Amino acid sequence: MRVLSGSNRRWLDFALRLALGAAFVYAGALKIRDPLQFADNIASFQILPNMLVNSFALSLPVFEILTGLLLITGFLGRPASLGILIISAIFVSAVVSALVRGLTIDCGCFGTSEPSRGRMWFDLGRDAILLIGAVAAYSYQSTKSVRRSEVTDRSRRA
Amino acid sequence: MGTLTNVGRDLAGVAGLAALSVMIGFAINHFSSQPLSMVYQSPQERLQSQLAELVAAPPFESFPVDTIDLNQFHRIVEDRSALIFDARSSLYYGQGHVPGALNLSRDHFARDYLRLRSTMERAKDRPMVVYCSGGACHDSKMVAQALVSLGFDHVRIFAGGWDVWTAAGLPTSKG
Repeated sequence: MRVLSGSNRRWLDFALRLALGAAFVYAGALKIRDPLQFADNIASFQILPNMLVNSFALSLPVFEILTGLLLITGFLGRPASLGILIISAIFVSAVVSALVRGLTIDCGCFGTSEPSRGRMWFDLGRDAILLIGAVAAYSYQSTKSVRRSEVTDRSRRA
Repeated sequence: MGTLTNVGRDLAGVAGLAALSVMIGFAINHFSSQPLSMVYQSPQERLQSQLAELVAAPPFESFPVDTIDLNQFHRIVEDRSALIFDARSSLYYGQGHVPGALNLSRDHFARDYLRLRSTMERAKDRPMVVYCSGGACHDSKMVAQALVSLGFDHVRIFAGGWDVWTAAGLPTSKG
């Protein structure tokens, strides 16, 4: 399936990495300014025990910034995009679980806002888009390295 | 098979990045001026422990506090007829607050209260109004209840909070 030429694919990959990476760096930077507020947001989901809430609130923003920067630069792009994929899947699952349990909360994903059910559906949609983007970024990174290893094998055989 | 090995290697990379993030996160917290404790406490538990630092207060109880609407609050701000307290964190207070409001944050209640104590005790008989970010925020209610627990009798809440004040296009102050 050759819908896009090589250079178009590379541009698309770069644009995707830039958008996704920038979104995660921005989200992490908002949370790292006020870890106590983010801890309250995490606790409102009623998923993690109190023992883990603050550790998560301290580490997750750093993880978002770190993986976002790595994804933009392309250094360690595969683990960075997989990390973003996993964290997006966790966000989607957490918001779905809160919606199913009838909670009205502020997810704190991109800074704070007033808790509302309408806002939670919006958050779910945005997290789902990030998840789809992360799946696309990771699968592109994977196929790219497979192609690269095939080229290396061929040149070794030649 | 090769792909599975690659995914395994990537997962190991993610674990490494997660471990690095935990270390950096804890290091930032260690050097922070307001570090988080290891075990999470709810806003109510945090306020209760801060109240206990100030006075041998009875256990913190939730009770109703009178509220005022935007018109009443606007008049009070213009007349300066009450002490106004912003219950949000100092970060949000610094970015903008109601003119004349003092920062008495729910999260650093004891620290802010000690700073404002002399002003507050001089004005013990004046009415007080507390606000936070918006209609669904609980900080103004908790701070108002804490003030009542400390012996201030004329405490009310502006329930609309910062969101309603700014949505009405009313003046704000910074810093």
